[in-house]
Amino acid sequence: MAPMPDADRLAQQFAVEQFLYDEAELLDDCRWTEWLTLVSEDIDYRIPVRSTRDRQAGVSDFSSHAFHLVEDHGALAVRLGRLSTDSWSENPPSRTRRMISNVRIKENSAAGIAVRSNLLFYWERAEQSSVLAAERRDLLRPGPTGFLLRARLVLLDHTILPTPSLSVVL
Amino acid sequence: MSGNPRAAEASPRLQETLSAFEAELDRGSVPLWIFNDPEVHRLELERLFPRTWIFLAHESEIPMAGDYVTRNIGEDSFLVVRGADAAVRVMFNACRHRGTKLCITDRGNTHEFICPYHGWLYDSSGKLASVPNQRDAFKGLDAGQWGLIPAPRVESYRGLVFACLDESVGSLAEHLGDFRWYLDLHLTLTPGGMEVIGEPIRWMIEADWKNAADNFSGDSYHTQTVHRFALKFGLVPRATAGSGGNPYDVHVTECSGHTTSIRQLPPDRPIFWGYPDEIKALFANSTLSPEQVSVAKGSLVHSGNIFPNLSFLHVGGTNDPKKPMIPYLTLRQWQPRGPGRMEVVSWVLAPSEASDAYKKRSYSVASSQFGSAGTFEQDDASAWSGIARTAKGVFPRRIGMKLNYEMGLPWMSEARIKQDWPGPGIVYDSNLEEGVQRTFLRQWARLMAKP
Repeated sequence: MAPMPDADRLAQQFAVEQFLYDEAELLDDCRWTEWLTLVSEDIDYRIPVRSTRDRQAGVSDFSSHAFHLVEDHGALAVRLGRLSTDSWSENPPSRTRRMISNVRIKENSAAGIAVRSNLLFYWERAEQSSVLAAERRDLLRPGPTGFLLRARLVLLDHTILPTPSLSVVL
Repeated sequence: MSGNPRAAEASPRLQETLSAFEAELDRGSVPLWIFNDPEVHRLELERLFPRTWIFLAHESEIPMAGDYVTRNIGEDSFLVVRGADAAVRVMFNACRHRGTKLCITDRGNTHEFICPYHGWLYDSSGKLASVPNQRDAFKGLDAGQWGLIPAPRVESYRGLVFACLDESVGSLAEHLGDFRWYLDLHLTLTPGGMEVIGEPIRWMIEADWKNAADNFSGDSYHTQTVHRFALKFGLVPRATAGSGGNPYDVHVTECSGHTTSIRQLPPDRPIFWGYPDEIKALFANSTLSPEQVSVAKGSLVHSGNIFPNLSFLHVGGTNDPKKPMIPYLTLRQWQPRGPGRMEVVSWVLAPSEASDAYKKRSYSVASSQFGSAGTFEQDDASAWSGIARTAKGVFPRRIGMKLNYEMGLPWMSEARIKQDWPGPGIVYDSNLEEGVQRTFLRQWARLMAKP
């Protein structure tokens, strides 16, 4: 595939960044139903468990079988529906702030735009707080208002999560 | 080698509390402050965790020679290694030379553990295999005396590897005792038994491990309140998480120190936790007795605690009401990490004969309900953290605030000893009782009071 002209690359970089910021805003503002409209029906959302392994072993830290979260659209809708309505432990709600940075477009293909970004996620509730760090690997597809999130892989920097609950989506 | 006996003394105040504990417990009274106290925590590390059987790993986590995981007993790190001879060994994770932590990875496969300080090399049986510059520096070293220190006792039951740091404690079989009757219901349903799906999920909760063990011992009373969204969203059947007092619910207390809470459907409905037909077909070849099968048959959900800190939950559910329910079995260990603080280590298991598709779906439902992102677990953790918050307080200590553990005492509740129950333990005909939780605290107090 011929390399993109710089002007197009800049435009795409801007559009992808704005999408990620808008998406983060919806999540931080607890606008779960609106966030779901940015997600494709065949979304693959997963946060694999990470174990510290010997570098020489050549085995990934990230599990292929164990996940903090591995959900499709239906499961996400139920999870977020709970947050909107009747969650015992989300009343009062958690406060979150997602800092997205280092947005890198890795590849354009028929499947979509492969994007990597860094996430710093602040969470607070009931006198407790935590900060999580992760790399996100997303696959974006064209959508009605710009993009749709087709896949998100969250690669945490933690093997033992310093937070009592990933009640919200990262 | 001689230890440090003076380190395990309790203050007069704690001694007084412990010696009065069981009598108070039998009246349904428990002091709040034991759930967040530095001295209690310290004494648990010295008197409790080293003096009973502690779960470490499932055999299916370390199937091949050289496979290892690093795990904790109390807050001490141990290597759990499958040797070249296929034996599982548990060894203190410290080099014998200068004592640095030998292995700082969580898991892997090796027959050579090399110390990062001076390069002493141990094989997968813990034997000191080589030291650098041996001829000049250590020509008189008797390597046989300097291997990794093994845990005094290591035994397995149905794939669960346990260790005990005390030589004088009875066998694992004695520790599990009559409760093996209930454990078998979960671990030997199929000829191949259960195996883990992937690595365990690990996360921190700012709450005392005892509150989690207490809850899983058989807190049936909270499900209708804390987990009510599950009913609203159709994620579990009403009979699984609804109000207590159903005639087919039982609480198994005082079963060799372990407990379980069981909810069932009427006997004419062979639900077996909701296992699909292709797995139920395998149950015909299990080694369970007809009585055990009769209990398994009607089972909706079992939760329970193996003293001290290994809990389990076997239940059918879904993460999307448009998709069918599927059973999952989760084992979880509540590890002490300081007063009022714990690390949870949570495994998901499935019948080894089950298809990959079954295991994937079971895992995804399990992790959506219980685990770091588990919607049920979050509600529990939030309540437990609240206890840690109040239990460390000055005011409740000054007034000697006591908690109400009276449910199920004869003068308080309707629960009675169940007639015609085929399993062991002191079994009640209702889950509106707290003898399950008193059982856990009783075992705790007995070990803690023993100097």
